[in-house]
Parts: sequence; structure tokens; C-alpha cells
Amino acid sequence: MRAAELDDLTEADVERVGTPIRRIDALDKVTGRARYSADVSLPGQLVGVIVRSERPHATIASIDISAARSVEGVVVVVIGDDVTDYRWYEDDEPLLPPVGGTVRFIGDDIAVVVADTESIARRAAALVEVAYDDLAVMTDVERADDEDAPTLLGNEDIAVDEEGRGDVETAFDRADIVVEGSFRTPIAVHNSMEPHGGVADWRGDQVDIYTSTQGINDVREQLAERLGVEHSHVRVVCEYMGGGFGAKQVPWKPTMLAVLASKITGAPVKVMNDRRSENLAAGKRNATIQHVRIGAKSDGTVIGIDAEIDTEMGAYSVPGEAAAVEGPYLYLYRCDDVRVRTRRIRSNLGPAVAFRGPGYLESTFVLESLMDELAKKLGIDPIELRRRNHAGSDQQDDIPWSHPEGILRSYERVEEASNWVEAFEREPSRRVRRGRGFAAHDWLAAKAMPPGHATVEFNFDGSVHIGLSSQDLGTGTRTVLSQVAADAMGIDMEHIRLSLGDTSTGPPAPTSAGSTTVPTMSPAVRAAAVAAVADLLDAAAEHLDVDRSTLTFDGSAVTSSDPEVDDQPLAELCTDLSPRVVHGWGSKEQTPDDVSPRAQGSAEAEVEVDLDTGEVRVTRVVVGPDCGRILNQRLADSQVLGGVTQGIGFALTERQIVDHRLGAVMNPDLNEYLLPTVSDTCEIVHAALDIPDLNANVIGAKGIGELPLLPVPAAIANAVHDAIGLRFRELPITRRRVLDALSERDAAAANSNDEKESA
Amino acid sequence: MSLNPIAERYTRPDDLAGVELDENSSYFAGGTDMIPLQRAGVTSFVALHDVKSTDLGRAIELVDDHWRIGALATLSDLEDHEGLADDIVAIREAMRQVATRQIRNRATIGGNLLQRPRCSYFRDASIDCWMKGGSDCPANGGLTEHLGVVPTGDATPCVAVQPSDLASVLVMARASVEISSTSGETRHVDVADLLAVPTISRRSLNVLEHGEVIRSIRLPVGTPGSRSTYRKAMDRAVWQFALVGLAATVTLAGDGLVSEASLVAAGVGAVPHALAASVDALIGKPLDATTIEAVATAAVDGLEPLADNRYKLALLQGLVRQVLAD
Repeated sequence: MRAAELDDLTEADVERVGTPIRRIDALDKVTGRARYSADVSLPGQLVGVIVRSERPHATIASIDISAARSVEGVVVVVIGDDVTDYRWYEDDEPLLPPVGGTVRFIGDDIAVVVADTESIARRAAALVEVAYDDLAVMTDVERADDEDAPTLLGNEDIAVDEEGRGDVETAFDRADIVVEGSFRTPIAVHNSMEPHGGVADWRGDQVDIYTSTQGINDVREQLAERLGVEHSHVRVVCEYMGGGFGAKQVPWKPTMLAVLASKITGAPVKVMNDRRSENLAAGKRNATIQHVRIGAKSDGTVIGIDAEIDTEMGAYSVPGEAAAVEGPYLYLYRCDDVRVRTRRIRSNLGPAVAFRGPGYLESTFVLESLMDELAKKLGIDPIELRRRNHAGSDQQDDIPWSHPEGILRSYERVEEASNWVEAFEREPSRRVRRGRGFAAHDWLAAKAMPPGHATVEFNFDGSVHIGLSSQDLGTGTRTVLSQVAADAMGIDMEHIRLSLGDTSTGPPAPTSAGSTTVPTMSPAVRAAAVAAVADLLDAAAEHLDVDRSTLTFDGSAVTSSDPEVDDQPLAELCTDLSPRVVHGWGSKEQTPDDVSPRAQGSAEAEVEVDLDTGEVRVTRVVVGPDCGRILNQRLADSQVLGGVTQGIGFALTERQIVDHRLGAVMNPDLNEYLLPTVSDTCEIVHAALDIPDLNANVIGAKGIGELPLLPVPAAIANAVHDAIGLRFRELPITRRRVLDALSERDAAAANSNDEKESA
Repeated sequence: MSLNPIAERYTRPDDLAGVELDENSSYFAGGTDMIPLQRAGVTSFVALHDVKSTDLGRAIELVDDHWRIGALATLSDLEDHEGLADDIVAIREAMRQVATRQIRNRATIGGNLLQRPRCSYFRDASIDCWMKGGSDCPANGGLTEHLGVVPTGDATPCVAVQPSDLASVLVMARASVEISSTSGETRHVDVADLLAVPTISRRSLNVLEHGEVIRSIRLPVGTPGSRSTYRKAMDRAVWQFALVGLAATVTLAGDGLVSEASLVAAGVGAVPHALAASVDALIGKPLDATTIEAVATAAVDGLEPLADNRYKLALLQGLVRQVLAD
């Protein structure tokens, strides 16, 4: 059954959906029973360790593997010259550069040493001798336009990608006020608990791959094509994933190297990144430099938005990096004249990849900082300013948003939950200043990423199996899809087993990215469940030899309106129907094209700034994500906790530090890459909306992953401005930046006093 | 599961007397610094001798007018000791701001004083640096946000800071260490002298000779009527080395004037940095706003910021204000 044939889900249809039940794999996770890719241990399994470039840009003069190979326990050392058939990245560069080939960042993959144990492999990897001929290096993309900037792969002709509408120049002529600034956002690293990689196990001409990924089907298809084998010869498993945040939405080299090493050795091989590799070579959020101006009328009506954006994308091109950095400028506010010019610039750093709200987070910080500035300059309440510029439709494609008022409901809920209109104490002590800030956000991906398919079968005892080949990133996909199926069939969840995380357990499902899994898979699962119930009634009618229209199913028995016909308890009926397997198939193949499905929201943040020490402490964050229908409040709250925490990190602590002279990342570890700790978090309030968006899909659920992150850094930066009157146009807002800005202001004030006195 | 070896040879002797310590071997205790250094290839000792089973001891005892703390006492031991906290609360305050409880459960007081620099250039094995035997300091002209503001003169181009929070507290409290040499002789050295600006012939943040071990720490009991504290500024709430830290103790006489004081800053220099000019501005004065401002102003006396760390001056002054005002 196609999801398009389903009736919209109404309140009468839901019983388990919407309840805050505990995730069904909670105990497995906290007791260590859940098996992650890094936990996989097969008989005879070998371990591969990757040898990485020590130079940011160089030609490989020679590779000497003799010392490494002579270490007892080393099985094979694979270098580029051994695997010349395989290409990688969007650039189709060699998987491993051969001698004479090029390495393009510190950490670029050169070889893999396979040994009996990890310790042997690690020791031998250190003995691989690589000689380099250095090439000119550029890690600072602000040098890209310099005369002497080296030409890097993909930088030969840096294109300007222009999007927008109307005529920006004349719009600014009509503006009463213009706010503008140059902003910088840092490279941020996902640093998931579980690194990238996996275990590969060739048996004959088939390979099983256990890998930490957000897209088991995508890994299967891409690796099969690179290996030149049929899709059916590759099975990919990811039962549990220890964090992905976008970095695992594409296959990466460690998994491919495990596959090749297993093929070469004939044994299962595990290759997992270490923490340094995660920080250097496993994806990151692009750094951006954004020059943006906004023109408005004196009543706050925005009439022109003009953005020039450079993004740093690393040495190679990976799908999904900074996917939509232009999005917030194009979609969040009503505005006839918008221009966004974006350049994606290569550097000698590791490649960028999608990271929770890719592109959107970076430009939401900028747009919402400027909107705050506009509100302050015009003396308009920041929330009121957003209301005045409400869009309600997709102005690029001229179609309405799926829920045109959704973001307005978010403003209301956040305004109420944060006591926005009440008095706020800004000077609690001599040295502490308090402030509060607001920010809104758009998100584009509520429309789902079909095709998504599911099967439902009744076992002969009446229990139910649901098969799909989606994956659970840790967000609770298993749980919410089981809730959806249980309601569709009227069967309690304890009688339902849902299999996912294995390409052999169900029909195709999309990669889990962009908060699209729920909007894609929940309609598919409901359709399969409805189809299975229909098949049950068909089978029962045939079996009982009664008119199908007299039968109904209430979750425990098939009953007939004909009093002559006995009730058929489900278990007995399924046994009687044996060997016929009652089943259903469901699919989500289309997305609406008459509306623009969007998932938007807003946040309020409160901070305390210590004038003596420059400390910024976030004391509370309220978020109101319009994720449509909430399938499970407890799991939605979990997404809010994680998203807000990452927002605090992006605003205050996280950045990859690069020495541009050396082309080196100076903090490729968790000591110095400062992820926020529990002590950095604060009271986090989920001002839940729970408004089904039935224009987006029949379930009305839109996914929540990105939403509680997107507005948070801007809300925090705006709160800092509210507290101390200083606007930070570069993240993170560190002690150094706060203290330097306070000192500069004090010095400027002293100067102007001097001038007044001398005048 | 297999563990990565951190050295080719590992021993855990009961007695240090039998250990032959050559240039390619080293002692270690908690290992919270040594293991990452070995793994990253910053150090490459062939043999490591774990001293945790030796008689160095981890007891914290009050002996007459001082505390005797075994070198193997963990940072958690110091944090949890009620008597020590009642006497010099700065120790407990400092410990609670060091790393994480898991690390404090492992790290020892002896090892804490002997940490290698936390400078990112030093910690990257592929980068040549003066402290690792190179000719120059790569931080010169590089990234200096976390490095020193106390000029080191001509002795060294290195601008790394002493990473230990505890060191500043111990200098503040006039602690000393008992050191035994390879030949079994014992000497006592003030912590203020144990930790020293490196020189061309001693590229290290301390004067301990190779093969010597710290046996114990001797800490005079606090002056009656004194109050002490340790404040630390980090870019996140916990688990970072100090951007700037401040150990302080102040004794007020009966007339309300400061009779005794010690202020020692962490994170600003190669050694714990005693704020001499600030103490001069404090002694004999009432602890009022005028005094505090004068003390804060004097705190940056003689400091010379590098390109990226001028903020450390403001931060140090801010910590001085906070410590004295609270």
C-alpha cells in the first residue's frame, strides 16, 4: 500500500503514538548488550590501522613498508599501488595515493597495516616510512584570492553560486536602515563517541560489512559499485550507532579499507578510526566567512537581504557539506529582494561533511544576530520584529509552507515559556550582567527523502514482525516506528518485533539525515500495517467463507457483524490460516509538491557574563521546535537536550584550531577540542508544540533532529549582547574574545573622555 | 581486546633500589600524562617502571606543624581529606577544578608536579620544538592564546606554562618536596625551587634529575586566622588546563589590616608566578575597594603578553578582584 492512499492520522487513530514510553532498546544500551560496530568481533578477525600523511600538501616520493612488514603478527600492508582500481571522494581521487601521487592534508590516508592485533598494527604503522616532496600549502581560505595562493585540487576556478530573487541593489536604496557585518564561524568537529569504521567479512564473492553509518543502503550501493559487484553481494549491518550527526551519512575510507583488506587477507578485518583521525579525517562542519547586510523600513519590515559567503570545505569534496548555507536568507523571512552569493573554497585540511543542520546553523547565527541588531536599533521587541516579517510561504518556488503558521506558534510558546514579557534583572551584582536573547530558524528537510518501504507479517501465533532496512541513529527510530505500527493495527507493542539496521532485514529505506527518517518511514510503516490488517481480513473472509465487509479487526480478534460467525482470536486465526502468511507492504514514494514542507522554530537563551573574568554562563535555554506531531515526548525531549547542548558548544567552546603556517590542526583530541560538558549545560526547556502537519505527510510528524540546535548559538550571542552590549561576530565566544572586547571598549571610552576633556 | 603497548618494557617494582634507570627509561605513577605522551610519540621511553607498588606511600598525615603527603596520594585523596580541607581549603578547591574525577582518581600529587608542558606544539610529535630538543620555539609567531605572559629572559625561547593548578597552591602554602636520588640520598627542596624556568642545559619545567623521585610533600599547616582559596578560569566549566588560575591566602590581623598574604598565579608563566607587587600593595592595608583595585593593578606588573594572550592580564586582574572581594 502506498502512503498516499492512507487517510490522514487523526486523534481518534492514536493511542500509543504521542505517549512518552521508554525507548525499547534502553536496557540493551545501558547494560552494554547493544552491539555497536566497534563491538563486532568475528572468529579470526584482524585489525587494520591507517597510516596518515604527516604533511599538509605533498607528493609522495617513496613508501618503505619493509620494516612494518617484518613485524611479527603483521599480515599485510596495503598501499596505493596495491589498490589502483579504487577512487574516492566526489573528486574521484585514488583511494590511497600511489607513489608519485598527492596527499592533501595532515591525516590524509596513505596505507593500512593489517595485523593480528591492534597493538601490533599500531606499532607497525609507525614503522612505515613515507618520503614527501612538499607542495605549497593553504589552510586559511581568506588567502584564496591572494596572488600567491596555491592552486589546490578543485580551487582552479572558484565559482560563485548565486541564488535569490528580485533586485537587491535597488532595495537597499529604499531602505530606512541597514544593518550589516562580517561574521566568522569556526570549523566544528562531530566527535561522535563511536568513531568511523567497521568490520568487513568476505565469504566467497559476498561481503558482510558491519559499519557505523547513517545509511546502510547507501553504503551497500556505493561500495558494491566501487567493488564492481552486484548490490545483492553486499550486506551492510548497523544495529546501533554511537553518534553520527551527519558525519556518517556517507561511506568513508576506513570501511572501504576494511573491505579491501578482508578481500586481500581472506579474514574478517576491523578498521576503526582513533580519536585523532576522527578530528583530522572524518568530516567536520565547514568554517564560514559571511558578509551580510539587511535593509529594512523604519517599521522593521525587511526589504533586502544580501549575503556573500565563503565556506572552507577542506581538501576533498564530500556530499552534504554545508549543504544549504544560503537557506535561512532565502526562506526564513518575507522579503522580495534577496541575493546570496556563495563560494566553496578548498584548503589543505580534512574534508567537510554534513553536521546537524549543515550550513543552516552557520547562517542562522549570522541572520539572527543581524535581526537582533535591527530590533535593538529600531526599538522593536525582537519577537515582534520576527512576527512582522513572517513569510508563510516558500518565496523561491511560490508555494505555501506546509504549516504556514507553525513558526508563529513557536514564537508564542517560547515567549510564554520564557516569561519574555516579564521584567528581567540585568545587574544582579557588581560584576555579573545578565542578558536574554531570541532567535528563530527555518529548516528545509521536513519533506522526507523517499523511497521508504516496510513489510509487516503476522507470525502463526498472531505476533507481528516488521521489517525495514532503515537504521536507528540512537534517536529512537525503533521505538517510534513500533508505536506507529501498534496504533495502525491496534496491537500492543509487546507483540511487535521491528527489525532494522541490516540491509537483509527489509526493503530499501533512505539514509537517516536531515530529520527525514520519521517523515519518510512512519507513513511507510503505517501503510504496511494497514495493508497487513486488510490482508488479514481478506484471508479471514476466505477462510470463514463470509462476506469480507462483515469483518472487522480490533487488535485481538477478527469479529463479524453476522452473529452466526464466531469471534476469531488472532492467534488461533493465524494458526488456522497457516501456511498462508498474512502480510502487508507499505511505501512512501512521493513528497507533496503543492506545499513546501518545513520544520521551523525558535529559542530564547539567558546568560550571565562575568565582567571580571569574561565567563559566559548559559543559565537557561527554551526551545520551541515545530516538529509536527510528537510521536514520543520523551524521545523528542532527548533530541532537545542534545541539540541545545551542541548549540552551547558551538556558541561558546568548540572550534578546530589550525596553525596556518604549519598547515596543522593543533587540537585533534578531546583534551583541547572543547566539547561542552554536563557542567556547561543549563536548564533546558522544551516548549513543545505538537501540532500535526498533515500537509507534510499523513502522519503529520516532521522530525526534530536539527531543530533544537539551529537557533541556539544565535540566541546565546544575542543574550550576551543584551547583557554587556557587545556583539560577537565570531564564534565561539571565548574568554579571550570577551575580555579583549571589554578592554577595547574601556579603552575607547577612556579615549573619548580624554577627547572631551581636551575639547 | 588488545591494549596498545605504551613501551616495549613495563615493570612494576616493589622497591626502587633495584631499578636501573637509563636514559631510555622512566618512572611513572598515575600515568595520566605519561601514557598519552608515549602513545603520541612525544616521548619514546623503551622501558617504563610503574612506581605504584613501591613504598612511596599515599598517606596524608599531620606530623607536628606540617602535613606529610606521600607522593602516591591521588588528587582525589587530597580532595577528600577533611583535615587538610579544614586547614587549607585552597587545596580542595583546586582539586575540584582539576580535570575530571576519573582522572583525579588516578593522577598522583608527585606526578602532577612533574607534568610535561601542555603546549600544543610540544604535544604534537611531528612538530619540532625547543623543549623537545629543537633550536627554536614554533609558538613564536604562532598561536599563543594559551601560552605564557611572564617573560623568561634569555634562558629559553619556550613560552609554555606550568600546567599544574596544584603547583600554585603548594607554592602559595610554602610546601617542599622530599626527593631521593638514585644513590638513595634524600634532599628537601621547596616546590618554588623544584619548578624552574627551563634552561638550555635543562629543557624541563623542573629541576628533578633523571632517576630522582619525589617521595613526599611537606606542607606547613595554615597560619591561624588565615583564609585561602583557588580560582581557575577555563573556556568551559570543567576539564581544561587553567587559562589563568590564582591561589591566594590572606591573614587579617585584629585591627582588620592584612598581616600576611600570598598570591600565586597559574597559567601565566613557566613556573607558578608569585604576585610580589600585589602582595606589597596588600600588606598592612584594609581589605577595601581601594586596596583591591591597587592589588589588581599591581598583579600585571612585569607581564608581557604575546600576540594572542593579552586577555590573560585582564583575566588575572579579574581573578584578583574576585578572590579579594569574596
